[in-house]
Amino acid sequence: MPVVARARRRKRRSVPIGRILLLGFFLVFVLWPLYWMFNTSIKPSDDYLTVPPVWFPTAPTLVHYKAALFAYRGLDGLINSLIISLSATVLSALFGTLMAYSLARYNTGGQHLSFWVLSQRFLPPIGIVLPVFLIYRGVGLYDTHIGLIIAYTVFTLPVSVWMMFAYFRGMPKSMEEAALVDGCTRWEAFWRVAVPLAAPGIVAAAVFAFIACWTEFFFALILTSRTAFTLPTVFRAFIGFQGAQYGEAAALAIVSLVPSIALGVLAQRHLVRGLTLGAVRG
Amino acid sequence: MAEVRITGLHKRYGAFHAVRGIDLDIRDGEFTVLVGPSGCGKSTLLRTIAGLEESSEGTIEIGGEVVNDFRPRDRDVAMVFQDYALYPHMSVAKNIGFGLKARKMPKPEVEARVAEAARMLGITPLLGRFPRQLSGGQRQRVAIGRAIVRNPRIFLFDEPLSNLDAQLRDEMRGEIKRLHQAIATTMIYVTHDQIEAMTLADRIVLMRDGVIEQQGTPLDLFERPGSTFVAGFLGSPRMSFLPGTLTLGGSAAAIRLADVLLPVAPGRKLNGATDGQKVLLGLRPEHLTRAHAARPAQGTFRYDATIDLLQPTGSRSYATFRLAGAPVMAELQAHDVSRPGERLPIDINMNRASIFDVKTERAI
Amino acid sequence: MQHTATISRMKAAGAPPRLSAFAQWADRHFKWLLVAPAVLLILALSIYPLLFSMVVSFINYDFQVPGHAFVGVKNYERVVFDPVARWSLVLTACLSGLSVAIEFVLGLLVALTMVRSFPGRGVIMSILIVPLFISPVIVGQAWTLLLQRPFGPTNYILTQLLGQEVTIGWMTESPWLYVSLIIADVWQWTPFMFVILLAGLTAISPNLYEAAELDSVNAWQAFWAITVPHLGPMMLLALTFRLLDAIRMFDTIFIMTGGGPGTQTYTASYYLYTVGFTQFHLSQATAGSWLFLIFTALVVMLLVRRLLKAEPV
Repeated sequence: MPVVARARRRKRRSVPIGRILLLGFFLVFVLWPLYWMFNTSIKPSDDYLTVPPVWFPTAPTLVHYKAALFAYRGLDGLINSLIISLSATVLSALFGTLMAYSLARYNTGGQHLSFWVLSQRFLPPIGIVLPVFLIYRGVGLYDTHIGLIIAYTVFTLPVSVWMMFAYFRGMPKSMEEAALVDGCTRWEAFWRVAVPLAAPGIVAAAVFAFIACWTEFFFALILTSRTAFTLPTVFRAFIGFQGAQYGEAAALAIVSLVPSIALGVLAQRHLVRGLTLGAVRG
Repeated sequence: MAEVRITGLHKRYGAFHAVRGIDLDIRDGEFTVLVGPSGCGKSTLLRTIAGLEESSEGTIEIGGEVVNDFRPRDRDVAMVFQDYALYPHMSVAKNIGFGLKARKMPKPEVEARVAEAARMLGITPLLGRFPRQLSGGQRQRVAIGRAIVRNPRIFLFDEPLSNLDAQLRDEMRGEIKRLHQAIATTMIYVTHDQIEAMTLADRIVLMRDGVIEQQGTPLDLFERPGSTFVAGFLGSPRMSFLPGTLTLGGSAAAIRLADVLLPVAPGRKLNGATDGQKVLLGLRPEHLTRAHAARPAQGTFRYDATIDLLQPTGSRSYATFRLAGAPVMAELQAHDVSRPGERLPIDINMNRASIFDVKTERAI
Repeated sequence: MQHTATISRMKAAGAPPRLSAFAQWADRHFKWLLVAPAVLLILALSIYPLLFSMVVSFINYDFQVPGHAFVGVKNYERVVFDPVARWSLVLTACLSGLSVAIEFVLGLLVALTMVRSFPGRGVIMSILIVPLFISPVIVGQAWTLLLQRPFGPTNYILTQLLGQEVTIGWMTESPWLYVSLIIADVWQWTPFMFVILLAGLTAISPNLYEAAELDSVNAWQAFWAITVPHLGPMMLLALTFRLLDAIRMFDTIFIMTGGGPGTQTYTASYYLYTVGFTQFHLSQATAGSWLFLIFTALVVMLLVRRLLKAEPV
């Protein structure tokens, strides 16, 4: 159709200068703080106060990384973060998948149960964390790895459940039914057929649970102190020193953001489902 | 090997009443086809026999044992699904052997059985492949292999051919029939396709709105439909229905269609019919032929028809004409008729015609 | 069933072995067993604490005052009549409202530039979503590095661009400290809007736009006639989710301003945190958190009900 062709050509011809500018501006906006942080992390402390600022460090150094990891116990925080986030991720993905399967295939508890779980996602953490702090002190879970692992498992469960709920809903159930007729119990049909088929969804749910735990600050701040502290809480040490430890702060930030960004970008395909708890397909 | 007996079966989904009182006896080794329009409850009935749905009321017996409370796994039945439901993460061999593995059968025996099933189905070269690497027909064979490898008491088929293209569908239909002839296991087959029902079944169970409308051998249902619904559902092109009035007065019964009086075949029983009853005369295209003999045969009515519409299919031509104002289709030999508008003598075989009450739509 | 192959019946495999009593029980209650761990965890660590805090909010639970006497609504009164509390609620509403609005507009604009595919789109996409995977603490830290006087380069850059000396105390002077907090929030969460809105935009059939072009509708009219109505449910979803997270704002404030100067950057969460954990008036803090919870619940009911009605695509 010539009219359509002409319309298409007109679309091509108008060079989208506005769009390129907007996108370019936004890209710079996103990248600039990251670059500056990296720049600061490898800059010798002497370069902090120069005018004009040092845009490209001429004498890069790893001294801040060393200090951040050892002098400020960044390495301990990193190890704690790994232990806690990984454990909570495994538990959250496991329990989340179990529950989601029951909700999706057996409609357990009707709409009430699924919306009750969803509502947990929107509770302000401050409302939970105060009593949890008091309870934890009472039962000896305060400042323990296990305490924070349980807290993180619960706090990531709504997302895991809803992501997997949407995933199972999108999967045909005839294969599980075939397994039942073939001689499986419900558990076997779930474990040997549904779970392998849902593996990509489970991995995606786990990635988002991990990122949520890895970047979490508020629970960690209140529920831990000198033993089970996680990486984000180490940044408390850099507050209010008017710049003396900017290199260390930047170095620690770089160390901390590499794993979560790498995972996040790898799981990009599932991002929309992750952000909307499965309400929107990516 | 087992017979199935279903008594007073109901299935409700909340307010929706999908199956409303089914009584059905299926003999050992019988090929039973559940057929009907979509939403008639045939799939629900099949899934209830498999144990995938719980019945709301009534009992299901397999091999003389009430299985209502049995899990699907304990019923020893096999099912072939519409989308084949092959396990995508397992090879063809693993797919076929899955049910045996679930029975904790020793590995060498599983392998021997899988190999034997694959040989029978001619899919031995495919054993190492995965379902996504197979064509529709090959998947279908694997799905059947998964069933025969166990030799279950009953085979259940849920519209197994509806995802295949027309040619493959014809081929697989033949193979399923051959399978049944060879192993003679009880088979229950759900379809909405009347041709599949006619060609495969020992017995057709025609369902409508959750109840059995009529059951019997294919020819039984075809020749003696119990209602206009059955008559209209089976047979293609459809039966023509002509509204008229039954006259019983005098020596012979007849049906009056406007200005035409068609005598009912002598010896035909008209149970409970009354004089002046409003009826529908049901004529299948093959009940109408071009008259060649000088006089119509016994029970045959001759009519001079003017052809309105002609649909040649090659071997046959379907000719539509008006009989007392209502359209009727006749199946003629291709050389019997050449063009619309032609006038022909048509013989109507009243021996095979069906008569239905207008109100109840039941056969008389 | 190859025509040459003979088909014969195999030996019946029979039913699988009987289940043990435990397996039978487990199979019967399968669906409840699956939900049990998650439900129990949520009950233990969300519902029980909430009930517990309900109790705490009506008694004396203060590390500075001994005893746990019943005090009625006194804890609630303390919060309601605390001007800082009221200020923090207003600030929470303003900051979150403003941030979310900016994120929405910016996210939509960027999404519109990314709908059609072009070379490099994949890479740009991967870069744009990076902020979503960074801890808000680090975001606060990054912007501190950029803005903090005299170390941050921002004032220097502005001086060069504007041609006159700029000496803004980004983290200390009102209103600039609010600007700083909003910028940090916008930096982190605009990608959230962008990703969801882009998913919505790509779901709109291009045929609609072609049909509109044939009817000589201009781009602006097409935006209002096609894009907005089709994107409506998605917009509502993105706004709801984001707003419910924005009102929790805490981490960046903790790092960037510490609530200061004075109490100028106290949000609701920050206020409750200081009352509870630096002044140790725990029962007053739980009372306040219950009020905040009710406030949130109202917003949730309002927004989520509309969301459910709109039925996202």
